[in-house]
Amino acid sequence: MTGAPHDALTVVLATAAATFVWRALGALLVGRVDPDGAVVRWFTLTSYALLAALVVRLVGLPTGSLAQVPSAIRLGAVVVTLAVWWLTRRSPLPAVLAGSACIVAAAALMAES
Amino acid sequence: MTRPEIRAATLGGIRAAAGVPLLLVGGGMSGFGALAHDIGFTGWEAVLATVAVWALPAQVVAAEMHAAGADLTAIAIAAALTSMRFFPMAVALLPTFGSDVGPLGRITQAHLMSATSWAFMMRASVPQDPGPRRAYHSAFTITCLSVAAIATLAGYLGAAALPAPLALGLLFLNAAFFMVLLADSRNRQALLAVALGALLCWPIHTVLPEASLVLAGVVGGTLAFVFGNRLRHPA
Repeated sequence: MTGAPHDALTVVLATAAATFVWRALGALLVGRVDPDGAVVRWFTLTSYALLAALVVRLVGLPTGSLAQVPSAIRLGAVVVTLAVWWLTRRSPLPAVLAGSACIVAAAALMAES
Repeated sequence: MTRPEIRAATLGGIRAAAGVPLLLVGGGMSGFGALAHDIGFTGWEAVLATVAVWALPAQVVAAEMHAAGADLTAIAIAAALTSMRFFPMAVALLPTFGSDVGPLGRITQAHLMSATSWAFMMRASVPQDPGPRRAYHSAFTITCLSVAAIATLAGYLGAAALPAPLALGLLFLNAAFFMVLLADSRNRQALLAVALGALLCWPIHTVLPEASLVLAGVVGGTLAFVFGNRLRHPA
């Protein structure tokens, strides 16, 4: 897929439109659809799979600055995030902070040596 | 409904937002701001994305795909796939705001709505009368959206000005937030979709890097939909 080059503003507006469509559709079809129906379930599962793929891409195949951090450390930060999340009985904030702290600490150590 | 009731509901909405919701929104959106800086958005484009899209997954997916050089149509499809959740959420939430709200009022509330605000509105402790309920939701979401806009700019400026290790930590926030969000699903069919999406991403990426998110999502989601039906109910 190689389209014409597009600027960031176009990307932002297209993303806003793609999200707004669903909100507006929900507002207009209130009372006329079953929010637990099969179509909605398929979309929900698809968005879960897509977000999981996004995590793999952000952590495993980074395109930007995060690529400076060795993959072993990125993987370690993933393990720490999930471990803290589990140990704190599923509280998101400590887990997210601990995972990011791993990246900060490793990057700081690397910069020193 | 009386004026004091509306005022109390408005204050209640602000107070409910000023806690864990604002920390989550602030953390998530500062991560997005850092990412936006990393891939070359301007600061105001980053803030516009937060205010106009108002859905962290769609924002991060779009930024990531844009950085990888994906086609505009592919970006819009991926964003639409992650944002479909707003449709059932709006269908379930909006009727509780009363029948005297016009289409424009409904669409406004639907735009302000987020996964966090939706979860809060389902609790028994929020006002149940339509008028105060609407005021509560408006106050809650506008508080979150305002903090989100500020956090986006702070993350953007932080990525530019902070020492490199801290900026990298900000970038990792995006992935960390989605990890805990996905892990928190208590529905095993959803966990199957998560596992399939993660496993499929890598092989698809080696063949079709630009389409890997959409393909891993659609194939993983469809497989979980077809084969995971008996896992639907929590164990």
